[in-house]
Amino acid sequence: MRRYLATFLLCCVLAPGRADTGRPDAFQRGLRTVDPPLAARDFALADVNDGTYRFSAHHGHVRVVNFWATWCPPCRREMPSLERAWKRLAPRGIEVVAVNVGEDEDTVFAFMGQYPMDFPVLLDEAGRVVEQWPVRALPTTFVVDPRGCIRYRALGGRRWDDPALLEKIEALASAPPVPCRRTPGN
Amino acid sequence: MALRSLFLAATLLLAVPAAAGTQAYVDPRTGLDAWRARDQGFSATFIQRLPDQTRAFFLARGFSRRAADALAGRCLFQTILGNAGKRGAITVDLSEWRWHAPGGRSGRLLLKEAWLRRLAAQGEPLRARIALKWSFYPTRQRFEPDDWNMGMTSYPLAPGSRFDLDLVWHDAQGRRHRLRMVGLHCAPDRAVPPAKGGSR
Repeated sequence: MRRYLATFLLCCVLAPGRADTGRPDAFQRGLRTVDPPLAARDFALADVNDGTYRFSAHHGHVRVVNFWATWCPPCRREMPSLERAWKRLAPRGIEVVAVNVGEDEDTVFAFMGQYPMDFPVLLDEAGRVVEQWPVRALPTTFVVDPRGCIRYRALGGRRWDDPALLEKIEALASAPPVPCRRTPGN
Repeated sequence: MALRSLFLAATLLLAVPAAAGTQAYVDPRTGLDAWRARDQGFSATFIQRLPDQTRAFFLARGFSRRAADALAGRCLFQTILGNAGKRGAITVDLSEWRWHAPGGRSGRLLLKEAWLRRLAAQGEPLRARIALKWSFYPTRQRFEPDDWNMGMTSYPLAPGSRFDLDLVWHDAQGRRHRLRMVGLHCAPDRAVPPAKGGSR
């Protein structure tokens, strides 16, 4: 009896200790539906290959738009899974773009030497685009439907090659169009 | 002013107190001291940041030595907040949080807006200020279920200080909750001694 009581007390003491730390299980979390869907703001940004990526020129495709920085630990941690996700999604016509916030090309390029990123990596050096999108913290990732509506959002890092996440993203390609809420300027 | 203080004190007392306790542990990745607690769906983790780590981080982002020293001279924690519940959105406003140090001292956090104003006035480069803006915790944030993120929080306390922290959060019904983190310890500013026979 005494042993059961001790076990019970120990459980009571330890229960709060199972607190979620934001990691590692937080990376297993899902995508949040944006309801109502929100029209994504158009932008044009330089990419690391000296090209320009205009967001609206890619309407017609589902896009995964990831806002990140090299110094952000969860951004670094989720990046390899984003690369793996891109490898599965690209043959299905789904695009992945990573918008780096506030860093220069040299910094981003050095990072890409350690973390392969074969999808477009865009430079929002002055931090203007991140201010125009509904981003409160890094990393934040949006899934945008072919008509340019933000349908899902992930605040915090994720394991992007999780089959449950990928299925949701892929299903958007054939999902019926929905009305999209416009905000001033988009 | 007195009425306002009384009102603030009353609201704090009326907040739904947290049942959860604070668990201290050593962060396995960094070896630094860390604390975590959970109150229903709201979870909070604080991991020490070494002053030298903070100094190096901000110098590398383009801040002057003066600015990096000012940041490293305050108590900073890597902070992870999240909504691990399923009962709707949680909102957090860091301006409602209060620290309580031994001797009855208490106060508010040093929010990123205050740092940004100060560093802009000092002429610190835009690139560095953008990094600070996004590496510090947002002052106000809404966490839908599954949302979480990480950022720095800072306190007007010297490295090495110890304090308790009252975290206030609001549930989907607008109820105010208070979670007390007990025994937080800011990392001390330890200088690395010069190598024997060498110079630094």
